[in-house]
Amino acid sequence: MKTDDIKSKIKGSIGREIFFYEKVASTNTVASNLAEQVAEGTVILADTQEKGRGRLGRVWVSPPGENIYMSIILQPQIETRDATLITIMAAVASANALRKTTGLNISIKWPNDLIFHERKIGGILTELKTDQKGILFSVIGIGINVNTDIDTFPEDVRKIATSVKKETGKLFSREEIVAEILNEINNWYMILKAMKREVLLAEWQRLTSTIGKEVIVVIGQETYKGFAEAIDDEGMLILMLPSGEMKRIHSGDLTVLR
Amino acid sequence: MELEDLKELLELLKDTDITELQVEKDGTKVKIKREKIFSSLEMPLHKPSAALREKITAEAEEETQRLVTITSPIVGTFYRTPSPEAVPFVEIGAKVNKGQVLCIVEAMKLMNEIESDVDGIVVKILVESGQPVEYGEPLFLIDPV
Repeated sequence: MKTDDIKSKIKGSIGREIFFYEKVASTNTVASNLAEQVAEGTVILADTQEKGRGRLGRVWVSPPGENIYMSIILQPQIETRDATLITIMAAVASANALRKTTGLNISIKWPNDLIFHERKIGGILTELKTDQKGILFSVIGIGINVNTDIDTFPEDVRKIATSVKKETGKLFSREEIVAEILNEINNWYMILKAMKREVLLAEWQRLTSTIGKEVIVVIGQETYKGFAEAIDDEGMLILMLPSGEMKRIHSGDLTVLR
Repeated sequence: MELEDLKELLELLKDTDITELQVEKDGTKVKIKREKIFSSLEMPLHKPSAALREKITAEAEEETQRLVTITSPIVGTFYRTPSPEAVPFVEIGAKVNKGQVLCIVEAMKLMNEIESDVDGIVVKILVESGQPVEYGEPLFLIDPV
Protein backbone atom coordinates (compact mmCIF):
# COMPACT_ATOMS: atom_id res chain seq x y z
CA MET A 1 0.00 0.00 0.00
CA LYS A 2 1.21 3.50 -0.80
CA THR A 3 1.22 5.49 2.42
CA ASP A 4 2.18 8.70 0.56
CA ASP A 5 -1.10 8.43 -1.37
CA ILE A 6 -2.98 8.19 1.90
CA LYS A 7 -1.06 11.01 3.58
CA SER A 8 -1.71 13.37 0.65
CA LYS A 9 -5.46 12.99 1.30
CA ILE A 10 -5.35 13.37 5.11
CA LYS A 11 -7.09 16.50 6.41
CA GLY A 12 -6.71 16.30 10.18
CA SER A 13 -4.44 14.88 12.86
CA ILE A 14 -5.69 11.30 12.51
CA GLY A 15 -3.36 9.53 10.09
CA ARG A 16 -0.69 12.21 9.96
CA GLU A 17 1.73 9.50 11.08
CA ILE A 18 1.35 6.09 9.43
CA PHE A 19 3.48 3.01 10.08
CA PHE A 20 3.09 0.48 7.28
CA TYR A 21 4.12 -3.17 7.62
CA GLU A 22 4.06 -5.92 5.00
CA LYS A 23 3.19 -8.45 7.66
CA VAL A 24 2.29 -8.23 11.33
CA ALA A 25 0.78 -10.59 13.89
CA SER A 26 -2.07 -8.12 14.38
CA THR A 27 -2.18 -4.35 13.82
CA ASN A 28 -3.89 -3.97 17.22
CA THR A 29 -1.00 -5.71 18.97
CA VAL A 30 1.57 -3.47 17.25
CA ALA A 31 -0.51 -0.38 18.03
CA SER A 32 -0.97 -1.34 21.72
CA ASN A 33 2.77 -1.76 22.12
CA LEU A 34 3.45 1.66 20.56
CA ALA A 35 0.48 3.52 22.01
CA GLU A 36 2.25 5.26 24.87
CA GLN A 37 5.27 6.37 22.77
CA VAL A 38 3.63 7.93 19.72
CA ALA A 39 1.37 10.88 18.95
CA GLU A 40 -2.38 10.55 19.11
CA GLY A 41 -3.82 9.68 15.71
CA THR A 42 -0.87 7.48 14.70
CA VAL A 43 -2.00 4.67 12.40
CA ILE A 44 -0.65 1.13 12.04
CA LEU A 45 -1.38 -0.34 8.62
CA ALA A 46 -0.50 -3.81 7.34
CA ASP A 47 -0.75 -5.70 4.08
CA THR A 48 -1.50 -8.92 5.92
CA GLN A 49 -1.98 -10.16 9.48
CA GLU A 50 -0.81 -13.54 10.68
CA LYS A 51 -3.00 -13.42 13.76
CA GLY A 52 -5.77 -11.01 12.83
CA ARG A 53 -8.28 -11.28 15.60
CA GLY A 54 -11.85 -10.53 16.51
CA ARG A 55 -13.83 -10.81 19.71
CA LEU A 56 -13.05 -13.68 22.11
CA GLY A 57 -9.93 -14.77 20.27
CA ARG A 58 -11.76 -15.30 16.98
CA VAL A 59 -9.75 -15.09 13.76
CA TRP A 60 -10.03 -12.21 11.30
CA VAL A 61 -9.17 -13.68 7.89
CA SER A 62 -6.42 -11.43 6.52
CA PRO A 63 -5.21 -12.39 3.02
CA PRO A 64 -2.30 -10.21 1.75
CA GLY A 65 -2.60 -7.23 -0.56
CA GLU A 66 -6.38 -7.08 -0.93
CA ASN A 67 -7.98 -5.64 2.16
CA ILE A 68 -7.60 -3.06 4.90
CA TYR A 69 -6.12 -3.98 8.26
CA MET A 70 -5.42 -0.96 10.37
CA SER A 71 -5.32 0.33 13.92
CA ILE A 72 -5.65 3.88 15.13
CA ILE A 73 -4.09 5.03 18.39
CA LEU A 74 -6.10 7.49 20.49
CA GLN A 75 -5.51 8.94 23.94
CA PRO A 76 -8.98 10.29 24.69
CA GLN A 77 -9.45 12.53 27.71
CA ILE A 78 -12.92 11.25 28.51
CA GLU A 79 -14.38 9.33 31.45
CA THR A 80 -13.74 5.58 31.22
CA ARG A 81 -17.47 4.89 31.56
CA ASP A 82 -18.04 6.84 28.31
CA ALA A 83 -15.46 4.75 26.43
CA THR A 84 -18.12 2.64 24.70
CA LEU A 85 -18.79 5.77 22.65
CA ILE A 86 -15.40 5.15 20.99
CA THR A 87 -16.82 2.03 19.32
CA ILE A 88 -19.95 3.95 18.29
CA MET A 89 -17.73 6.69 16.85
CA ALA A 90 -15.58 4.19 14.91
CA ALA A 91 -18.67 2.54 13.42
CA VAL A 92 -20.24 5.84 12.36
CA ALA A 93 -16.98 7.05 10.76
CA SER A 94 -16.27 3.77 8.93
CA ALA A 95 -19.83 3.34 7.62
CA ASN A 96 -19.90 6.91 6.29
CA ALA A 97 -16.48 6.53 4.67
CA LEU A 98 -17.47 3.26 2.98
CA ARG A 99 -20.73 4.75 1.73
CA LYS A 100 -18.86 7.70 0.21
CA THR A 101 -16.05 5.73 -1.42
CA THR A 102 -17.87 2.59 -2.61
CA GLY A 103 -21.42 3.81 -3.12
CA LEU A 104 -22.67 0.75 -1.22
CA ASN A 105 -25.44 1.36 1.29
CA ILE A 106 -23.43 0.04 4.24
CA SER A 107 -25.26 -0.19 7.58
CA ILE A 108 -24.21 -0.82 11.18
CA LYS A 109 -25.20 -3.90 13.14
CA TRP A 110 -25.09 -3.26 16.88
CA PRO A 111 -22.66 -2.36 18.18
CA ASN A 112 -20.28 -1.81 15.26
CA ASP A 113 -20.29 -4.46 12.53
CA LEU A 114 -20.26 -3.01 9.02
CA ILE A 115 -22.96 -4.78 7.07
CA PHE A 116 -24.14 -4.98 3.48
CA HIS A 117 -27.26 -7.07 2.74
CA GLU A 118 -26.93 -8.80 6.12
CA ARG A 119 -23.34 -9.86 5.44
CA LYS A 120 -20.30 -8.54 7.23
CA ILE A 121 -18.06 -6.38 5.05
CA GLY A 122 -16.01 -4.94 7.91
CA GLY A 123 -15.39 -5.35 11.61
CA ILE A 124 -14.13 -3.16 14.43
CA LEU A 125 -12.41 -4.32 17.60
CA THR A 126 -11.47 -1.61 20.05
CA GLU A 127 -8.98 -2.07 22.84
CA LEU A 128 -8.82 0.20 25.83
CA LYS A 129 -6.16 0.32 28.51
CA THR A 130 -7.17 1.82 31.85
CA ASP A 131 -6.06 1.99 35.44
CA GLN A 132 -8.14 3.19 38.40
CA LYS A 133 -7.47 6.82 37.48
CA GLY A 134 -8.77 6.62 33.92
CA ILE A 135 -7.99 5.93 30.28
CA LEU A 136 -4.34 5.42 29.30
CA PHE A 137 -5.00 4.86 25.60
CA SER A 138 -7.35 3.27 23.12
CA VAL A 139 -6.65 1.35 19.91
CA ILE A 140 -9.36 1.05 17.26
CA GLY A 141 -8.78 -1.95 15.01
CA ILE A 142 -10.61 -1.86 11.69
CA GLY A 143 -10.73 -4.63 9.11
CA ILE A 144 -12.48 -4.10 5.76
CA ASN A 145 -12.92 -6.73 3.06
CA VAL A 146 -12.19 -4.65 -0.05
CA ASN A 147 -10.78 -6.45 -3.09
CA THR A 148 -10.84 -9.96 -1.71
CA ASP A 149 -12.50 -12.85 -3.48
CA ILE A 150 -14.84 -14.00 -0.73
CA ASP A 151 -15.01 -17.49 -2.29
CA THR A 152 -11.45 -18.09 -1.10
CA PHE A 153 -12.51 -17.60 2.56
CA PRO A 154 -13.14 -20.56 4.88
CA GLU A 155 -16.68 -21.87 4.41
CA ASP A 156 -18.05 -20.79 7.81
CA VAL A 157 -16.84 -17.23 7.14
CA ARG A 158 -18.06 -17.20 3.53
CA LYS A 159 -21.65 -17.68 4.68
CA ILE A 160 -21.64 -14.53 6.79
CA ALA A 161 -19.09 -12.29 5.06
CA THR A 162 -18.82 -10.27 1.89
CA SER A 163 -16.41 -7.82 0.25
CA VAL A 164 -16.65 -4.55 -1.66
CA LYS A 165 -15.46 -6.39 -4.79
CA LYS A 166 -18.09 -9.09 -4.38
CA GLU A 167 -20.91 -6.53 -4.07
CA THR A 168 -19.79 -4.07 -6.76
CA GLY A 169 -17.88 -6.32 -9.17
CA LYS A 170 -15.11 -3.71 -9.11
CA LEU A 171 -11.68 -3.23 -7.56
CA PHE A 172 -11.22 -0.20 -5.32
CA SER A 173 -8.22 1.84 -4.17
CA ARG A 174 -7.50 0.78 -0.61
CA GLU A 175 -5.54 3.99 -0.08
CA GLU A 176 -8.60 6.08 -0.91
CA ILE A 177 -10.83 4.14 1.47
CA VAL A 178 -8.23 4.28 4.27
CA ALA A 179 -7.84 8.06 3.85
CA GLU A 180 -11.61 8.57 3.90
CA ILE A 181 -12.02 6.45 7.05
CA LEU A 182 -9.23 8.41 8.79
CA ASN A 183 -10.77 11.76 7.78
CA GLU A 184 -14.19 10.63 9.00
CA ILE A 185 -12.65 9.47 12.29
CA ASN A 186 -10.97 12.86 12.60
CA ASN A 187 -14.38 14.59 12.33
CA TRP A 188 -16.34 12.23 14.55
CA TYR A 189 -13.58 12.03 17.15
CA MET A 190 -13.83 15.80 17.59
CA ILE A 191 -17.55 15.39 18.24
CA LEU A 192 -16.79 12.63 20.76
CA LYS A 193 -14.14 14.71 22.55
CA ALA A 194 -16.62 17.57 22.81
CA MET A 195 -18.98 14.96 24.33
CA LYS A 196 -21.74 15.81 21.86
CA ARG A 197 -23.18 12.45 22.74
CA GLU A 198 -26.57 13.04 21.16
CA VAL A 199 -25.04 13.99 17.77
CA LEU A 200 -22.99 10.80 17.71
CA LEU A 201 -25.86 8.56 18.81
CA ALA A 202 -28.27 10.14 16.32
CA GLU A 203 -25.84 9.44 13.48
CA TRP A 204 -25.42 5.84 14.63
CA GLN A 205 -29.20 5.57 14.73
CA ARG A 206 -29.39 6.86 11.14
CA LEU A 207 -26.90 4.25 9.92
CA THR A 208 -28.02 1.16 11.85
CA SER A 209 -30.04 -1.77 10.52
CA THR A 210 -30.54 -3.34 13.97
CA ILE A 211 -33.07 -1.11 15.72
CA GLY A 212 -36.70 -2.04 15.15
CA LYS A 213 -35.88 -5.66 14.36
CA GLU A 214 -36.42 -8.99 16.10
CA VAL A 215 -32.98 -10.14 17.25
CA ILE A 216 -31.21 -12.89 19.16
CA VAL A 217 -28.32 -12.00 21.43
CA VAL A 218 -25.99 -14.66 22.83
CA ILE A 219 -24.00 -13.64 25.91
CA GLY A 220 -21.84 -16.47 27.23
CA GLN A 221 -24.27 -19.24 28.24
CA GLU A 222 -27.35 -17.03 27.97
CA THR A 223 -29.52 -16.29 24.95
CA TYR A 224 -32.04 -13.49 24.71
CA LYS A 225 -34.62 -13.13 21.97
CA GLY A 226 -36.46 -9.87 21.68
CA PHE A 227 -37.18 -6.64 19.89
CA ALA A 228 -34.30 -4.18 19.48
CA GLU A 229 -35.94 -1.04 20.87
CA ALA A 230 -33.12 1.50 20.99
CA ILE A 231 -29.66 2.22 22.28
CA ASP A 232 -29.14 4.11 25.52
CA ASP A 233 -26.83 7.08 26.03
CA GLU A 234 -23.78 4.81 26.34
CA GLY A 235 -24.70 2.94 23.16
CA MET A 236 -25.91 -0.17 24.98
CA LEU A 237 -28.78 -2.07 23.38
CA ILE A 238 -32.24 -1.93 24.91
CA LEU A 239 -34.04 -5.17 24.15
CA MET A 240 -37.74 -5.71 24.77
CA LEU A 241 -38.20 -9.31 25.83
CA PRO A 242 -41.43 -11.23 25.00
CA SER A 243 -42.52 -10.67 28.63
CA GLY A 244 -42.46 -6.93 28.00
CA GLU A 245 -39.43 -6.52 30.24
CA MET A 246 -36.71 -4.18 28.99
CA LYS A 247 -33.24 -5.74 29.09
CA ARG A 248 -30.07 -3.69 28.76
CA ILE A 249 -27.46 -5.59 26.73
CA HIS A 250 -23.82 -4.59 27.15
CA SER A 251 -22.12 -7.29 25.07
CA GLY A 252 -22.73 -10.44 23.08
CA ASP A 253 -23.27 -11.80 19.58
CA LEU A 254 -26.31 -10.39 17.85
CA THR A 255 -28.25 -11.93 14.97
CA VAL A 256 -31.05 -10.02 13.25
CA LEU A 257 -34.06 -12.26 12.63
CA ARG A 258 -36.17 -10.00 10.43
CA MET B 1 -53.93 -31.46 73.61
CA GLU B 2 -55.11 -28.63 71.42
CA LEU B 3 -53.11 -27.25 68.53
CA GLU B 4 -52.99 -23.92 70.35
CA ASP B 5 -51.25 -25.58 73.33
CA LEU B 6 -48.66 -27.09 71.07
CA LYS B 7 -47.99 -23.75 69.39
CA GLU B 8 -47.57 -22.14 72.78
CA LEU B 9 -45.17 -24.85 73.86
CA LEU B 10 -43.01 -24.42 70.76
CA GLU B 11 -43.02 -20.67 71.26
CA LEU B 12 -41.80 -21.11 74.84
CA LEU B 13 -38.95 -23.36 73.75
CA LYS B 14 -37.78 -21.06 71.00
CA ASP B 15 -35.38 -18.94 73.00
CA THR B 16 -34.14 -21.65 75.36
CA ASP B 17 -31.27 -24.13 75.20
CA ILE B 18 -33.61 -27.09 75.67
CA THR B 19 -33.08 -29.69 72.96
CA GLU B 20 -35.50 -32.40 74.09
CA LEU B 21 -38.86 -32.27 75.90
CA GLN B 22 -41.60 -34.76 76.59
CA VAL B 23 -45.08 -33.65 77.75
CA GLU B 24 -48.11 -35.74 78.58
CA LYS B 25 -51.55 -34.17 78.95
CA ASP B 26 -55.00 -35.70 78.81
CA GLY B 27 -53.57 -38.97 77.50
CA THR B 28 -51.72 -37.31 74.59
CA LYS B 29 -47.97 -37.64 74.52
CA VAL B 30 -45.90 -35.03 72.76
CA LYS B 31 -42.17 -35.39 72.30
CA ILE B 32 -40.22 -32.46 70.94
CA LYS B 33 -36.65 -32.95 69.89
CA ARG B 34 -34.50 -30.40 68.21
CA GLU B 35 -30.90 -29.90 67.32
CA LYS B 36 -29.16 -26.88 68.61
CA ILE B 37 -28.02 -24.78 65.68
CA PHE B 38 -25.07 -22.57 66.33
CA SER B 39 -24.75 -19.47 64.34
CA SER B 40 -21.22 -18.73 63.20
CA LEU B 41 -20.93 -16.02 65.82
CA GLU B 42 -21.43 -18.58 68.59
CA MET B 43 -18.96 -21.06 67.15
CA PRO B 44 -15.91 -20.44 69.34
CA LEU B 45 -16.23 -22.50 72.55
CA HIS B 46 -14.21 -19.95 74.43
CA LYS B 47 -15.61 -16.60 73.59
CA PRO B 48 -12.91 -13.99 73.09
CA SER B 49 -12.77 -11.26 75.65
CA ALA B 50 -14.10 -7.85 74.71
CA ALA B 51 -10.54 -6.53 74.46
CA LEU B 52 -9.50 -9.32 72.11
CA ARG B 53 -12.62 -8.85 70.01
CA GLU B 54 -11.80 -5.19 69.62
CA LYS B 55 -8.26 -6.02 68.60
CA ILE B 56 -9.46 -8.51 65.98
CA THR B 57 -11.91 -5.98 64.54
CA ALA B 58 -9.23 -3.32 64.42
CA GLU B 59 -6.81 -5.68 62.69
CA ALA B 60 -9.44 -6.68 60.14
CA GLU B 61 -10.14 -3.04 59.41
CA GLU B 62 -6.48 -2.28 59.05
CA GLU B 63 -6.14 -5.27 56.71
CA THR B 64 -9.01 -4.00 54.55
CA GLN B 65 -7.55 -0.51 54.49
CA ARG B 66 -4.13 -1.80 53.47
CA LEU B 67 -5.48 -3.82 50.55
CA VAL B 68 -5.98 -2.04 47.25
CA THR B 69 -9.31 -2.71 45.55
CA ILE B 70 -9.35 -2.77 41.76
CA THR B 71 -12.82 -1.93 40.49
CA SER B 72 -14.44 -2.13 37.08
CA PRO B 73 -14.52 1.26 35.34
CA ILE B 74 -17.33 0.16 33.00
CA VAL B 75 -20.41 -2.06 32.81
CA GLY B 76 -19.61 -5.23 30.90
CA THR B 77 -18.48 -8.86 30.94
CA PHE B 78 -15.47 -9.79 33.09
CA TYR B 79 -12.78 -12.02 31.56
CA ARG B 80 -9.73 -13.38 33.37
CA THR B 81 -8.10 -14.52 30.11
CA PRO B 82 -7.14 -12.63 26.92
CA SER B 83 -9.05 -15.25 24.86
CA PRO B 84 -11.17 -18.29 25.85
CA GLU B 85 -8.36 -20.88 25.60
CA ALA B 86 -5.60 -18.72 27.04
CA VAL B 87 -4.23 -18.89 30.58
CA PRO B 88 -5.52 -16.28 33.07
CA PHE B 89 -3.72 -12.94 33.31
CA VAL B 90 -3.24 -13.51 37.06
CA GLU B 91 -3.99 -16.08 39.76
CA ILE B 92 -4.47 -15.68 43.51
CA GLY B 93 -1.07 -15.35 45.16
CA ALA B 94 0.56 -13.98 42.02
CA LYS B 95 2.94 -11.09 42.29
CA VAL B 96 1.88 -8.24 40.03
CA ASN B 97 3.65 -5.07 38.99
CA LYS B 98 2.14 -1.65 38.59
CA GLY B 99 0.89 -1.44 35.01
CA GLN B 100 0.39 -5.18 34.64
CA VAL B 101 -2.93 -6.24 33.05
CA LEU B 102 -5.23 -8.05 35.51
CA CYS B 103 -8.30 -8.73 33.40
CA ILE B 104 -10.53 -7.58 30.55
CA VAL B 105 -14.01 -6.14 30.90
CA GLU B 106 -15.84 -6.17 27.58
CA ALA B 107 -18.67 -3.91 26.55
CA MET B 108 -19.79 -3.46 22.95
CA LYS B 109 -16.62 -4.99 21.45
CA LEU B 110 -14.57 -2.61 23.51
CA MET B 111 -12.02 -4.79 25.28
CA ASN B 112 -11.03 -2.87 28.39
CA GLU B 113 -7.72 -4.13 29.76
CA ILE B 114 -7.50 -3.12 33.40
CA GLU B 115 -4.04 -2.53 34.86
CA SER B 116 -2.91 -2.84 38.44
CA ASP B 117 -2.23 0.54 40.06
CA VAL B 118 0.31 -0.95 42.48
CA ASP B 119 3.06 -3.53 42.90
CA GLY B 120 1.70 -6.30 45.09
CA ILE B 121 0.22 -9.74 45.58
CA VAL B 122 -3.23 -10.75 44.32
CA VAL B 123 -5.12 -11.66 47.50
CA LYS B 124 -8.60 -12.14 46.14
CA ILE B 125 -10.39 -12.39 42.78
CA LEU B 126 -13.96 -11.35 43.45
CA VAL B 127 -15.72 -12.20 40.17
CA GLU B 128 -15.82 -15.35 38.06
CA SER B 129 -14.70 -15.16 34.45
CA GLY B 130 -17.57 -14.62 32.03
CA GLN B 131 -19.80 -12.91 34.60
CA PRO B 132 -21.39 -9.48 34.11
CA VAL B 133 -20.00 -6.64 36.22
CA GLU B 134 -21.38 -3.24 37.12
CA TYR B 135 -19.70 0.13 37.05
CA GLY B 136 -17.48 0.43 40.14
CA GLU B 137 -17.81 -3.25 41.12
CA PRO B 138 -14.75 -4.57 43.02
CA LEU B 139 -12.81 -7.14 40.96
CA PHE B 140 -9.49 -7.74 42.74
CA LEU B 141 -7.92 -7.17 46.14
CA ILE B 142 -4.20 -6.49 45.94
CA ASP B 143 -1.84 -6.49 48.91
CA PRO B 144 0.68 -3.78 48.06
CA VAL B 145 4.35 -4.43 48.76
